[in-house]
Amino acid sequence: MNYTKKEIKKGIKLHVLNTDKFKTNLVAVFLTTKLERETVTSNALISAVLRRGSHTLKTQEEISKQLEELYGASFDCGIDKTGDNQVLKFYIESINDTFLTQSNENILKKSIENILDIIFNPLIENNAFKKEYVEQEKNNMKLRIEGRIDNKRRYALDRCIEEMYKGKPFGLYRFGYVEDLKNINEVNLYERYQQLMKQCKIDIFVSGNVNEEVENIITENQNIKKLEEREPSYNTESEKNTVKQGKKIEKMDVMQGKLVVGLDVNSQNEDEKYNVMIYNTILGGSANSKIFQNVREKANLAYEASSRYFRYKDNIFVNCGIEISNYEKALNLIKEQLKDMKNGNFTEEEVENAKKAIISSIKTIDDEQDTSITYYFGQEMSGNQKSVDEYIERIGEVTKENVVQVAKQVEINTIYFLRN
Amino acid sequence: MQVIENSKVKETLYLEKLENGLTVMIIPKKGMKKKYMIWGTNYGSNENVFIVPGENEKTEVPNGVAHFLEHKLFEQENGTNSLDTLTALGVDANAFTTNDMTAYLFGCTDNFYPAMDELMDYVQNPYFTDENVEKEKGIIGQEIMMYDDSPDWKVYLNAMQILYHNHPVKIDVVGTIDSISKIDKEILYKCYHTFYNLSNMAIVVCGDFEPENILEEIKKRLKNSKANGKIQTFYPEEPDTIVKEKIEQKMEVSQPMYTIGIKVKPTDNPEEMVKRDMAIQILLELLVGKSSPLYKKLYDEGVISGGIGGSYEFSENYAHVLISGQSNDPEQVYSRIKQEINRQKQEGISENDFNRIKKKLYGEYVKDYDDVENIANMFLTNYFMGINSFDYLNQIDTINVEYLKQLLNDVFKEEKMVISIVRN
Repeated sequence: MNYTKKEIKKGIKLHVLNTDKFKTNLVAVFLTTKLERETVTSNALISAVLRRGSHTLKTQEEISKQLEELYGASFDCGIDKTGDNQVLKFYIESINDTFLTQSNENILKKSIENILDIIFNPLIENNAFKKEYVEQEKNNMKLRIEGRIDNKRRYALDRCIEEMYKGKPFGLYRFGYVEDLKNINEVNLYERYQQLMKQCKIDIFVSGNVNEEVENIITENQNIKKLEEREPSYNTESEKNTVKQGKKIEKMDVMQGKLVVGLDVNSQNEDEKYNVMIYNTILGGSANSKIFQNVREKANLAYEASSRYFRYKDNIFVNCGIEISNYEKALNLIKEQLKDMKNGNFTEEEVENAKKAIISSIKTIDDEQDTSITYYFGQEMSGNQKSVDEYIERIGEVTKENVVQVAKQVEINTIYFLRN
Repeated sequence: MQVIENSKVKETLYLEKLENGLTVMIIPKKGMKKKYMIWGTNYGSNENVFIVPGENEKTEVPNGVAHFLEHKLFEQENGTNSLDTLTALGVDANAFTTNDMTAYLFGCTDNFYPAMDELMDYVQNPYFTDENVEKEKGIIGQEIMMYDDSPDWKVYLNAMQILYHNHPVKIDVVGTIDSISKIDKEILYKCYHTFYNLSNMAIVVCGDFEPENILEEIKKRLKNSKANGKIQTFYPEEPDTIVKEKIEQKMEVSQPMYTIGIKVKPTDNPEEMVKRDMAIQILLELLVGKSSPLYKKLYDEGVISGGIGGSYEFSENYAHVLISGQSNDPEQVYSRIKQEINRQKQEGISENDFNRIKKKLYGEYVKDYDDVENIANMFLTNYFMGINSFDYLNQIDTINVEYLKQLLNDVFKEEKMVISIVRN
């Protein structure tokens, strides 16, 4: 695979991932902006309104029909938090012309035109978004935000994060807040859209078996041409939490208790984060990990017991689903594992095994188009330009001492428990 | 080895049926760094009544044995656990059980052959003790409770309760706390020796490989085994009718969830299975897909706020269509879908719409061939039903509007429809 990056206009970058491994081309457009209480709901709503119809394809039905004509091209959009930024993500995936029954349809070109049209050429009536769409999507957004409780495990994790980052950008819910919706209308939402389009950081990714033509398709596109140069407004640093020793127990009608323990890693610099990845794998990142082995296999308290590292925020979250009466038992076991790590009660072999697992996942980054896009976007955002080979090399260098050092810095920040 | 090429997706399947009965399928993927192997047995939670080879009497086992067996197979006599051993190799190992099959798998970039050693060793060498069986009951108990908190799983399972009178497809794959309490090591060994015979199993490997080499490597690691012929399994008599039309459960959800089910008479003809599967997918798109008139109306009226999912699940002895989503008024969605089915039956299907959706379906089948794991799982699942996955690409052009009309009448029958709802 060959990766190139080019600034096509100030603040707007085109990333091309040229590879002949896939039957599909994947085009992604990411709009990155600061995560702020004032705009979080509007930004999320913009993405929902845009997908309802563009100036060219005015209804969902027309968009869907067009996608079906393009051999089932799939269009998708989502909202993510990347550090202290809110990222509006849009994707279109379509099959490469080589696999068509009739050739020369240039599906890629049409796909690019469609996605750019949906994002940058919205349906406007009287200098505002279409009222009907905005009102409907406000209702849908309300349902979506309220729908957080439907996935209990995810909900418990989100709640723990919110408690840890109360009053901080990262503590905001990525889809925003129901109470904001009543003040949003088709006029002020369109104003927010115009502002966003002037200020946000724009990254366009194209992955697939493509040639030089793709750059022309994008730079010559009318919607790209009309975008202004910008000094993109987004957060490159992220705010630390100020909560210490938080504890929150909440009730819901659940059968099983969901325990989440949020940890502060306190890394000293970017480079130390490779050590943390090894630490996390040994702590709870695999079936061999201390948490899986002790909470599940030895004590049989849980089916799910694991930990995840949030690199941008330098936090680890330990999760398990347990019998409610086993709360203290499970929590103590988790604390014991953290202590064990501090005391260096793990082997060189475990360090080596963790490296193997991480290296294997790094090596497969370019086996999946969306994973490679996420990887290169991560590099773009962290300003940390490491090639896959350098990344592997750096993981390979981590020692047991490095991991113990991480363990000594780790502190429990917040314990969250969802119970009945 | 049998070599089967497909010119549409430009992929090749190498297939070999060994003397001991094991089927090996290899799909080379040049340039992929990930290598993937899956070993499945054609045995899932549905196979609860059977004749142990060499015996005359039927054996009946508690619900959830296939899944329990999947958990326990990792346990080794020397006290190690194969999942740990595989994880230590840096490979990503797992296993899963469905109504119809059980499979053990791993994906990796390095250490493929050491991982293959371990996988092939543990699947061929069960080690169950009273103690290790007992301990697993706690873990699976928490797995059952995790599903109990999942409204989308409950709404599905409840739909199965009212679609089927007796067929075991209505039973949760993992069983219940009560049913798994009855499982002991004798039962596990009995099921293992019956269903883990090589003639009931298949291996699929996908990645950047030379097929001949892989086949030899697999053969080297197989224990001596004799094909035990067809296993006799029994399923209770299942009437064509539904049990009742509606079921509701209370759970804490933001908005009601629904699953609409349609009971379908199964076919055991693989060619017909493939054709039906494709035609039903096209019909579901025409009825409730994003470009359908009904979807637009329901969305504009605010009855739904997101997609309506449609799927067709089937084996040789059961088949049903499922339509699911979230809505403030699931009863309204249900009656509008019924009306739409009737409208389409009367007004017919437009050739234009049909061709457009067929293009979409074709594109989706092509997309299935990008990921090694997806490819291998697809070939394995289809193989156990007598289907070669390429058949979908090869047969798509045999579907026409006439056939769709026929299926619309035969499958989408009002008296075969049920609705399951989960709401506050």
